[in-house]
Amino acid sequence: MNIDEIFDNTSFTIDREPHIVLNYDICAGCDNRGCVNSCPARCYSWSQEEQKMTFVHDGCLECGTCYVVCHKDAFTRWRYPRGGFGVAYRMT
Amino acid sequence: MSKTYQAIVIGAGPAGSSAALTMARAGLDVALVERGSFPGEKNMFGGVLHRLPSLEEIFPDFWQRAPLERHIVKKGVTFMTADSSFNTTIEAGNFDRPPFNGYTIFRPRFDRWLAQEAVKAGATLITRATVDELVHKNGKLAGVTVQGRDGELLAPVVIAADGVLSFIARKAGLRQPTFNPAQMAVGVKALLDMPREMIDDRFGLVREQGFANEFVGCTDGVRGGGFLYTNYDSLSIGLVFHLASLRTSGKTPYDLLNAFMEQPQVAKMICGGKLQEYSAHLIPEGGYDMIPELVGDGILVAGDAAAFCNATGLNLEGINLASHSGVLAGKAVVEAHRNRDFSKQGLSHYKKLLEESYVIKDLKLYRKAPHMLHNDRIYNEYPELMCSFMEYIYRIDGAPKENLSRLFLKSAREKVGLGNLMADGLAPGEHYEYRRNF
Repeated sequence: MNIDEIFDNTSFTIDREPHIVLNYDICAGCDNRGCVNSCPARCYSWSQEEQKMTFVHDGCLECGTCYVVCHKDAFTRWRYPRGGFGVAYRMT
Repeated sequence: MSKTYQAIVIGAGPAGSSAALTMARAGLDVALVERGSFPGEKNMFGGVLHRLPSLEEIFPDFWQRAPLERHIVKKGVTFMTADSSFNTTIEAGNFDRPPFNGYTIFRPRFDRWLAQEAVKAGATLITRATVDELVHKNGKLAGVTVQGRDGELLAPVVIAADGVLSFIARKAGLRQPTFNPAQMAVGVKALLDMPREMIDDRFGLVREQGFANEFVGCTDGVRGGGFLYTNYDSLSIGLVFHLASLRTSGKTPYDLLNAFMEQPQVAKMICGGKLQEYSAHLIPEGGYDMIPELVGDGILVAGDAAAFCNATGLNLEGINLASHSGVLAGKAVVEAHRNRDFSKQGLSHYKKLLEESYVIKDLKLYRKAPHMLHNDRIYNEYPELMCSFMEYIYRIDGAPKENLSRLFLKSAREKVGLGNLMADGLAPGEHYEYRRNF
C-alpha cells in the first residue's frame, strides 16, 4: 500500500488556530526527537540540513503520542482542538 | 451565560456516559460535556467490547439495544516473523451462545448511542465543547469553562472522564504532570471495507459470528503487537506499540502497519479489503501502578482518565472498566448529593466501590503484567523460535530426525539464548531493569 493513502482516508474539520504550539528552539536542542518517528499522523518533520523542526497540526489525530514522548517539554501549548474541530472518525 | 447543574461529566465516552446515565436515572440534573461534534467522534479502540455487568444491571436488554457488530466466537493468537506464522485459535460453543463473551463495535456508533441513553434518562448533552479550566468559588470546585465559549457550567461536583491524557485530572492535581512513556502505548488502526460473504468464507464464520486475532512478532522488534477483528462488513486491523520502545526504535507506526499488512499471511487475510479510515489513540497500559488519585474535593476520575485499562498480554480490557467505573462514580455522586457533602471525604465512597469491584481487583491481580511485557524477546525472538521450531517439526526431507527436546534447545539457543530462556522462565521479564531506568 502507498503510505500516503493511509492519511487520505481520515476526515478533519481544521481549525486555523493550532491546538499544539511548539517552541522550536527547544526541539533544535533535543537529543531524541522521538516525536518525529512516533507521531502516527506524520505531523513532525526534522530537517537535518536546516536543523529545524516543522510541525503541522492539520492531520493531527489528537492521540497524545507527542505529548508523552517529548521529554523536553517543548510545548508552549498542547490542548485538544476547540469543540467541533479536529479529527472526525466516522466508523473506526 | 452560566448554567447550573447538579453534576458535570467531562467526556461522553463509555465512562462519562455511564456516569451521566446513572446519575440522571437517580434524578440528578446532569450536564454531559463532549468535545466532539457527537459522542464517539474522537474515540477509537482495538475492537472487542466485553461484558458490561453494571450497564446490564441498568438495562437488562442492553445487548439487544446497543448497536453492535459481530459476537466473537473465535479467538486466535499468531506468533509471526517476516514470512512465517504459527497460529492457535479457540472456537468455543459457549462463545456462540448468549450471553456472548464479546462483540466488535464501532465507537462513533456505540458511544453516540450510549450518550443518547443518558439523554433519554434526562441528562443534558453538550457537544462541541472542549472543557478548558476548572472553576473554583469560595475555595470550592464550582464548575468548568469551555474553550471559546463565554460563561461557565456550574455544579458542585465534576466527573473527569476526559480520556487517557485527562488534563482535568492534572488541573485538579490528581495526576502527575508528566506521563511515563513506559506506561503508555499507542494504537494505530486501519478499517478495511470487505463484503460480508467474503469475511464469512475467509474466516469460517456464519450468521453474526466474529473472529478476533492477536499477533506477536509483527512489530519489527518494537514492544507491542497486532490485532485483526471482523465487523459485519469490514475488518479492523492495527498495531499497538509501547511508547518508550517506539520512541527509541526510530520506526514509524504507519510504516510498521504497512509492513504488517504486507506480511504474506496477513496480506492474504485482508486481500480485497478497501481502506476506509486510519485512526490512532493512546492506551494507558501502566496498570495498577499508573492509577492517579481517584477523588479530590468536588471531583472524581473515571475510565481511561483513571488509567483503568487491563493489558494482560492476551486480553486488552478498557471499555468495560471505563463503563463500570463511570457507573460507580455516578453512584458515589448520587450519595454525595444525598449527604450534601462533595468534599474528598464525601466522595470517597467511589474508591470503596471500586475496590470492591472487578475493576481494582483485576488491576491489582495483574499488577505485574505491564512489567512482564517489557521484555523485548517476546516481540522478536520468541515468535522466531516458535515459527522455526514448528517448521523443523513439519519438515520431512530425508534428513535423519532429531530428538524433539534437543531440537527445541538447539533452536532456543540460536534464537533466544539459553540464559535468557532460563531468566524469562524464572524471573518476571526485565522488571528490575525497568525499575532502574525510570
